[in-house]
Amino acid sequence: MHKCECEQPLVPVIVEVMDIKDETPDIKSFFVKNPGGNGLPFNVAPGQCAMVSYLPVGESMISCTWQEEQEYLQFAIKRVGLMTDELHQIEVGQKIGLRGPYGNGFPVEACKGKDMLFIAGGIGLAPLRSFIKYCFKHREDYGKIKIIYGSRSYADLCFKDELFELWPQQKDTEVFVTIDNAEEAWKGHVGFVPSYLEELNPSSAGTIAVTCGPPIMINFVLKALEKMGYNDEQVITTLEMRMKCGIGKCGRCNIGSEYICLDGPVFYLAQLRDLPQEY
Amino acid sequence: MKVLSKSKLETALNKLNQSAEVFLPMQKDKESGFYSWKLFNQGQDELMLNALNVYLPPKNVVLPQTERMYSIKQEGQEIKIDKTFEDSSPRVIFGARPCDLKAILCMDDVFLTRGYEDSFYKCRREAITIVANACFQPGPACFCAAMEINPLEPAGADVIICDAGEAYSWEAKTPKGEALTAQITEYLEEKSLSLPAAKPFVQDVKYEGVAEKLKGMFNNHIWERLGESCHNCGICTYVCPSCYCFDIQVKMWGDEGYRFRCWDSCMYEEYSREAGGGNPRGSGIERFRNRFLHKLEFFKERYGTPLCTGCGRCIVACPAGINIVKIIDEIKEAELDA
Repeated sequence: MHKCECEQPLVPVIVEVMDIKDETPDIKSFFVKNPGGNGLPFNVAPGQCAMVSYLPVGESMISCTWQEEQEYLQFAIKRVGLMTDELHQIEVGQKIGLRGPYGNGFPVEACKGKDMLFIAGGIGLAPLRSFIKYCFKHREDYGKIKIIYGSRSYADLCFKDELFELWPQQKDTEVFVTIDNAEEAWKGHVGFVPSYLEELNPSSAGTIAVTCGPPIMINFVLKALEKMGYNDEQVITTLEMRMKCGIGKCGRCNIGSEYICLDGPVFYLAQLRDLPQEY
Repeated sequence: MKVLSKSKLETALNKLNQSAEVFLPMQKDKESGFYSWKLFNQGQDELMLNALNVYLPPKNVVLPQTERMYSIKQEGQEIKIDKTFEDSSPRVIFGARPCDLKAILCMDDVFLTRGYEDSFYKCRREAITIVANACFQPGPACFCAAMEINPLEPAGADVIICDAGEAYSWEAKTPKGEALTAQITEYLEEKSLSLPAAKPFVQDVKYEGVAEKLKGMFNNHIWERLGESCHNCGICTYVCPSCYCFDIQVKMWGDEGYRFRCWDSCMYEEYSREAGGGNPRGSGIERFRNRFLHKLEFFKERYGTPLCTGCGRCIVACPAGINIVKIIDEIKEAELDA
């Protein structure tokens, strides 16, 4: 047994899954808290991540899409690999492992007083949602909010009740949703996120743009924002790479001399300009 | 000065072995590396304290090739972690060369600084005493002096010994080193010893300015050519004293098992392959480039020192003849792309 007094950053705590919600055919939200219902193992700031583990199978770094006070941590997880596939099979009451919080999180303070433009694709809305909900919670601290979000299809849109009901009702908030290909019942916009962004052409004045999505989307969004007059200090993105330790030791998530798990996952475009274009 | 006569070496090792596991360079069958004195077979194995570098560095003593982390027990929806496996039993690395010692100091930077202390590494490392064996005669592949190492008086050693023919000079440098000295004080003599003169390096490596120059060379055409012959076999990372990248995996037998970590290699495609199938370093050239940039640029930027210690093992081991000394030369001579 562990004899010394040192902290054990690589050993997870056990939490209980108190609710599971289907977001899309391949994305589920998992709501976790301490076993038995007493609070949370740790606080997670908007944009921070945690290593979520179905212990007999593996661990995956997942951005926390929302912390509701001391009630729950919510992780929206897409089924893509071994661990996430197993996680999608579990039922409410299952104990899972959690360690964190990891990463720097969004610069919520530095963005105060600004208009906010959120641009997300697919599961990329999950990390941004923590910032979006933070803005709504502290509504008077932020200016106008625009959210541009797209997915492959209507079924693949995450957090539909918020997208179509709750968020558009918020003060000074506009939500623009697009899907990649036309569908019979879909009356909204059809097309990819970057082109929709250019079409909407939101003003860069006093605005911070935050984007997350598939790498190809991020790349085109960054180009579009540049064209629209956003400078590198006005653009924030979150990156991801394969991770194992989450604490800047195991080596694999480096971009140049920075580790996404520790120094990221949130970067200003100005910071990325100094790093190798490897994301 | 304190002196350990070679005729008393084995008795001294037996003494140290009573209170710690002692790892020394030895030749065992066709392998050479740092093995426990307990496993030394008289008459079959050969102590290699006189060799400059054994094939494998003492990396496994500070960062075992596989290391259990914690137990996992599953019962229905319940899950328990009731044991963690930090190991703080005392160990001695006896006869680490300055390059291998420096590699351990690099790992100390990784595992013990920048926000988190890795408990598994920390517990193990704190219980390790290092006796460094100073180098006077660089080998044909050695270039430690170019990588910011003093081979005669290496930083970070608990004890420094120098081979002076019939005996080793013995100088404790830290409280840990003093404690080790106290254990074998009956075998140490006080006398003067003339130490060998330092010989010049065969390899002429000039690392100054390389990290800075590399900053502008990520997209340089040079990598295609330099990495063309690399098979991504990973032997360089295996023999490297400072390559520390690790994987975390799980082993289960039914409802019980444990999580462990093991050495990994940035040369392998799986290393950075993501669950969705994407891979930011999907090609061999990209992985080759990342390894050399990590060694020569990124680590220096982050920790202030290169992650290559000039031991020369990768030069000897590479089946494709890739030579980090030549790569450093090529980088220095390369023209920056317009």
